[in-house]
Amino acid sequence: MSDRILEVDNLSVEFATYGGTVKAVRGVSFHVNRGETLAIVGESGCGKSVTVQAIMGIIPMPPGKITGGSARLNGKDILGLPAKQANQFRGVEIGMIFQDPMTSLNPTMTIGDQISETLMVHRGLSYKDASALAVQLLDKTKIAEAAKRAKQYPFEFSGGMLQRAMIAQSLACNPAVLMADEPTTALDVTIQAQILELMAELQRTENMSIILITHDLAVVARMADRVAVMYAGQIIESGSVDDIFYRSSHPYTLGLKEAMPSNKGDRDKKLSPILGSPPDLFHPPVGCGYFARCPYAMKVCEHQQPPEYLLAGDTTHQARCWLQHAGAPVNKRLYQTGANHAD
Amino acid sequence: MLAYTMKRLMAGVITVWFIATATFVAMHMVPGDPLMNDKAVTAEIRKNLEIKYGLDKPVGEQYLIFMGNMLQGDFGISFTQQNRRVNDIIRDHFPVSATLGVLALFFATIGGVVWGALTAVYRNRLPDIIIMFMVILGISVPSFVFAALGQLLLVNINSALGFSLVPVAGWGTISHMLMPSLVLGLSTMALLTRLMRSSMLEVINEDYIKTAKAKGLSPLRIFFKHQLRNAILPVITILGPQIAAITTGGFVVELVFAIPGLGRYFVQAVQQLDYTVIMGTTVFFGAFLVLMVILVDILYGFIDPRVRLQ
Ligand SMILES: Nc1ncnc2c1ncn2[C@@H]1O[C@H](COP(=O)(O)OP(=O)(O)OP(=O)(O)O)[C@@H](O)[C@H]1O
Ligand code: SF4
Ligand SMILES: [Mg+2]
Repeated sequence: MSDRILEVDNLSVEFATYGGTVKAVRGVSFHVNRGETLAIVGESGCGKSVTVQAIMGIIPMPPGKITGGSARLNGKDILGLPAKQANQFRGVEIGMIFQDPMTSLNPTMTIGDQISETLMVHRGLSYKDASALAVQLLDKTKIAEAAKRAKQYPFEFSGGMLQRAMIAQSLACNPAVLMADEPTTALDVTIQAQILELMAELQRTENMSIILITHDLAVVARMADRVAVMYAGQIIESGSVDDIFYRSSHPYTLGLKEAMPSNKGDRDKKLSPILGSPPDLFHPPVGCGYFARCPYAMKVCEHQQPPEYLLAGDTTHQARCWLQHAGAPVNKRLYQTGANHAD
Repeated sequence: MLAYTMKRLMAGVITVWFIATATFVAMHMVPGDPLMNDKAVTAEIRKNLEIKYGLDKPVGEQYLIFMGNMLQGDFGISFTQQNRRVNDIIRDHFPVSATLGVLALFFATIGGVVWGALTAVYRNRLPDIIIMFMVILGISVPSFVFAALGQLLLVNINSALGFSLVPVAGWGTISHMLMPSLVLGLSTMALLTRLMRSSMLEVINEDYIKTAKAKGLSPLRIFFKHQLRNAILPVITILGPQIAAITTGGFVVELVFAIPGLGRYFVQAVQQLDYTVIMGTTVFFGAFLVLMVILVDILYGFIDPRVRLQ
């Protein structure tokens, strides 16, 4: 049995809109190992949600269209399956939770019924057994008075409680992978911490993999084993948390880090936001997507896409930047292995 | 929910009182009175009649008498139909109007929900375009035109068959009721179809539909258990006001299909300034509509827990 539970290869997704075709995801490849947490980070609109939703088969089609690539769950192809086949893994082998728990649950159905629905559909349980199990699941996500809460409707829950209920629902069939699309963005800070803690704990007890989408590097540092940094529909750097934080090899990753406030006491350290805005995905640049904003841009960057380099001597740390090319000039702030250090 | 219902009922009583008062005032402001239609009244007979019906009293006193009787559920005696009590007129003819109205509302709701859901499923494709074209017809063509067309259709069908499959006019059996109630419900059905369509399209983009897909539910289950139920809510809210529209439309349809409903008496009474019948039918219809609106609100509460539990 392979260690890779989910493998995504060269995934591309487009949306047909009135203004033209948005190339939202442009050849994304990554994998998730059993029991680990992969964080996907990147600024708004870079294609994080579209990536995971395409894998789940829940982007609206049309306007969406998966134009290429593959996704394999336990070796089985799952990309672009018709509903009937897709529903054998959705909610069963992959669970999913969303950014806004307030709007992600059906307002006219009790919390308990929404959880038991999954169990009845996938496990063939009777309503009675499913309801009892739903209460247990709510209990597992540390919702007090679970039996009473199961009979309530979403509007009777707070945001944090709803996210717990969403987690309970997504765990109903013991999925191997949990996809969490900014699960704490809509919650206030103390609740955020509790939800993250709950996820980490459940990951250990249930032994599942988590794909965690977030903007927040602090969340990444706390939760993730590995990180994929996305920019303009591509993964521009990926590797272990240490790789990304201490051996940043792409100028965008460096920019993200420097734009992040730290709590290490260096109060007078200036935050430097990344200037400019991401490229127009109607007409993505022919060269590097980051070219227009990159402080280290070179001539080659404008016209040629940098390939995904595996950093020399490394087996997991990848970056999509010409600065990793053997001919690239040396830069002190970036971690470069391919560049001509010796000379 | 109980306190809410009580509050609504109180407000309903006030509304009905307001309707009664406004009707009374309007009636007395119109020139003429119920007795002027009788050609052969001499001054003396007129005097006697005025005394008999209480028209010799000051208007303020007449108002109090009307109101007092009404509180006891007595709407008085008709001016133009000899010795017929208004209560009897309502009792004899309202059930007919109510049956017609309820059937019309039933057709309109079922039709609106089904057509609306279909247009949403087939949005921007042929079925959607055809249904939406019909909707525009249904909303813009007045019901008497549909009534006439409906009769024409029945006449053609019956003569083609050589026997009367569905009667063209009259009242009595279920088959009498079909065409008039369909015609009466048509504009409401069109309106509800349009509302249901936009509501369905709104719901399909909701986050919880995405959740339902991610849970691995079948499209059919998502459609019925998650989309339809939530999409119906706005349709139910406008059912109340639509009952009023159907009631008014009923007067015309009753006339065209020769249905012995209350509408005919109401129209007649207005033409002849039959004070008691106008007051009786108006207040009765007013109370009925107010009650229906409240009932619809309560029904809404049953479907939407956010209303029920607050
Ligand atoms: N239904 C859609 N129709 C058209 N374009 C879409 C649609 N959904 C997403 N997009 C486009 O795809 C791109 C990526 O969107 P996505 O939601 O994946 O971003 P994201 O990285 O999740 O951002 P955020 O952090 O704001 O959630 C955006 O440019 C967006 O405009
Ligand atoms: S490829 Fe060039 S433009 Fe792109 S990030 Fe690297 S240095 Fe900057
Ligand atoms: Mg997103």
